[in-house]
Amino acid sequence: MAEVEETLKRIQNHKGVIGTMVVNAEGIPIRTTLDNSTTVQYAGLLHQLTMKAKSTVRDIDPQNDLTFLRIRSKKHEVMVAPEVPLIPCNRKCSSPL
Amino acid sequence: MPRPLSALPGSPNQARRMSTTRKVSLSVSKVSINHSKVSLSQSRTVLSRTTSGLTEGKEKVSLHHPRRHIQVFDELGNDVTPRPLFRPDPHFPGSRKPSRLLVSQDVSLGSDYAGSYTMFQNTLNPSLVGQFTRSALGSSTVSKSSASTTESMGEDLEESPYRREAVSIYVDLQLKKEVPKVLTKEELDAEVDIYLSETETLWLFNLPTVMHSIESEEAEKIKERNMLYETLCKNRAGNDLYVERVMQTFTGAPKHKEVQCDKILTEEKGIMSTTWTLYDAYNALEFPASTMKPETGKSESMLEVVRKDQDSKYLSTTDRTSENSSTIDVESIIMIKIHEEEEDRSELILKSEKFQQDLFFMERVLMENIFQPKLAAYRQLPILEEEEEEEEEEESYPQVEKVKQSEDDEDTEVTEEESVEAVEEPIPPNLERLWSFSCDLTKGHNVSSMAWNKANPDLLAVGYGQFGFREQKRGLACCWSLKNPLWPERVYPSLHGVTSVDFSIGSPNLLAVGFYNGTIAIYNVQNNNRVPVLDSSEFHQKHIGPIWQVQWVEQDRGTAGEEKREILVTVGADGRISKWVIQKGLICHDLMKLKRTSMDKQKKENEREKKSEALISRQAPGMCFAFHPRDTNIYLAGTEEGHIHKCSCSYNEQYLDTYKGHKGPVYRIAWNPFCYEVFLSCSADWGVNLWQQDDFKPYLSFYTTTHVIYDIAWSPKSSYIFAAANEHRVEIWDLHCSILDPIVVNIANPGVKFTTVLFAKNTDCILIGDSEGQVIVYELKNMPIHTESGREDAIDLLLGPEAHSI
Repeated sequence: MAEVEETLKRIQNHKGVIGTMVVNAEGIPIRTTLDNSTTVQYAGLLHQLTMKAKSTVRDIDPQNDLTFLRIRSKKHEVMVAPEVPLIPCNRKCSSPL
Repeated sequence: MPRPLSALPGSPNQARRMSTTRKVSLSVSKVSINHSKVSLSQSRTVLSRTTSGLTEGKEKVSLHHPRRHIQVFDELGNDVTPRPLFRPDPHFPGSRKPSRLLVSQDVSLGSDYAGSYTMFQNTLNPSLVGQFTRSALGSSTVSKSSASTTESMGEDLEESPYRREAVSIYVDLQLKKEVPKVLTKEELDAEVDIYLSETETLWLFNLPTVMHSIESEEAEKIKERNMLYETLCKNRAGNDLYVERVMQTFTGAPKHKEVQCDKILTEEKGIMSTTWTLYDAYNALEFPASTMKPETGKSESMLEVVRKDQDSKYLSTTDRTSENSSTIDVESIIMIKIHEEEEDRSELILKSEKFQQDLFFMERVLMENIFQPKLAAYRQLPILEEEEEEEEEEESYPQVEKVKQSEDDEDTEVTEEESVEAVEEPIPPNLERLWSFSCDLTKGHNVSSMAWNKANPDLLAVGYGQFGFREQKRGLACCWSLKNPLWPERVYPSLHGVTSVDFSIGSPNLLAVGFYNGTIAIYNVQNNNRVPVLDSSEFHQKHIGPIWQVQWVEQDRGTAGEEKREILVTVGADGRISKWVIQKGLICHDLMKLKRTSMDKQKKENEREKKSEALISRQAPGMCFAFHPRDTNIYLAGTEEGHIHKCSCSYNEQYLDTYKGHKGPVYRIAWNPFCYEVFLSCSADWGVNLWQQDDFKPYLSFYTTTHVIYDIAWSPKSSYIFAAANEHRVEIWDLHCSILDPIVVNIANPGVKFTTVLFAKNTDCILIGDSEGQVIVYELKNMPIHTESGREDAIDLLLGPEAHSI
């Protein structure tokens, strides 16, 4: 548990990282360093996108699975690490740079 | 047809007679029901007449006085008399209760029967009726009577006296009960015409005979069966096994009953069935951890089918898909209610291993983002120019533009410069700093040793510990990965300073660490366990002084072609070189005890024994060793005295040779990876010596500084290039170019000493560890490229033509 906290902290304190959040399976944020409205917005939107991406990957090959999702935009980059299914899903999204 | 019995016969005999006759006729008629026989057609008509008689009975009700019993009529005039279940015979005391008879008559024929009843009394023998009704119910009696017809009638008559009697009694009853209607004699004598006609044949049962030819295959079997059946019938007569029974089923009175249940809540669930949901379902069936319904396995097709499952129980998938449809409002409501639940679950999530792993990946990805150009340079991949621009982006946009532009300008300038330079003159080889492995944990520690992992070229083990005795403090061994330069993958803290580390060759997950207090520990880096797998602190054979070098060596055991065994060789300041074997724990053998040799007496080794001076110890502290790359039996050991001894594993008492050239402790010996006769040594006497194996005097000496040289390393790419780290600078020498000066000199920041140097295997990079706990990765740029022309030539070049003469 402490390691998890440490790693989270390290990631958050990285140069270029704007915010991090941990979201559970239903799309409800558990931990966040951003403000509430942004968190909720990101959580909802990214949840859907991640689901879609995962579905796409698995449709192509059911034995495959989505491990990481990165969205690069002009201003930022959003990175999402989804969970393997059959376990309560957690997702994390951070937007560095 | 016998005359209708309008006259009331009073004698039972008559009745009996009638009953018998009736019976006979009736029994015959029974047969008609079962089998078709010629004679039966006659009886059929009889029956039909009786039936017609029955139907006509209704009309005749009016002629006779109805039986005296209570009749209930409802509003509409229907006869709703509840029928009694039992009519006792009041005129015949102690009569046996032919309840079945009565009941059958009552129940099966209905209320109309009451009317026709009387008719029967007059026209027909009630026994007939009784028989008839019974025939309607049970075939057993019928069959019995049918059987009787095949034999003599008389038997039958004797057999069922009871029945007849009952019937006759009944008849009497009826007759007696009959209210004597006043009948005039004329009426009685009058001829009454009764017209009987044949009704339709009611087929109740028809079993046609099946005929088989005698010549058929089954003829024998059929004959047997017939015989069996006949014997059965014969045996059946008086057999106890066969008992006549009549059953009556009661038709219960129906009753209305209302039931109301709670409102059934229905819920719609939809799922999009995709290829992977089917795949998941199949897999989940194999591992019955999830609660999948077996019906889900029914779907056969693996094509993409979009269907709505009303009763789908894909828990995991519905969680995800149905959650999509759940709106934020629902969630917000739920959130309030199950807030505590959420907290628990969030804790679970945070603690789960998966989450940790995800964080790990995330960190790595971040690092990759940040360090991409550096890593690309390390791996000799082309650096994307756009990457650098993006790297420079900052949070606020207008600033970004400016910065970007300035960067663009700078970049172009630099490239121009470089290109200009390239055109004008070759750029001297230089070291470009890529990044450094450092973190808070390692700040302030002195890097004492570094080692690459043999299996994973991205994994680096670094040992942190002070060299001097006075500066001793807690030490650290870390495993760094190239993918995360800001935090070590594994951290193994220890009480004592770490002086040496090495990864095993045979089992690359084992890391051997040597400490300042003389113990060695072996860690398994696969898990994060901070406890070493093996520890030598309990051993009495352990080293007493600091272990200056550990190395895993694969040794060929004998010439019989046995498999290579890996041993751990350590050299300690107590003057022992020992090998450790892992067999259910560490087993230590001494390979060599380094004995002191006096500097002056070089003549004979056996003069070692004579010591004129009083020495504190006879052992010379060993500082380093190096096994021959080809012949692992031979190794070189450097001592604190400055001597380098060539030893063999086979002898642990004597040296093979001694090389004397250094005046201070020899800190490192390194064999040339390409040229096996040549080795290099560095010592605290500010110099690096190049030796040739057969020569006991150094071939080349490099004394360029006035500082202690801590470490040397050969480049894995070229046999001419080596690096030396002394306190203030790192020098890269290229012997092909110059043997007097290093080609590259990298000066350290003031206050920082370079203590270790290590070449990277696959790339042109060099790692330099310093006394501040940083391991800096430099890229060697513009190194002169030499063509390796062969070993012989290399020796020539290196050593000159005289080498061959020795």
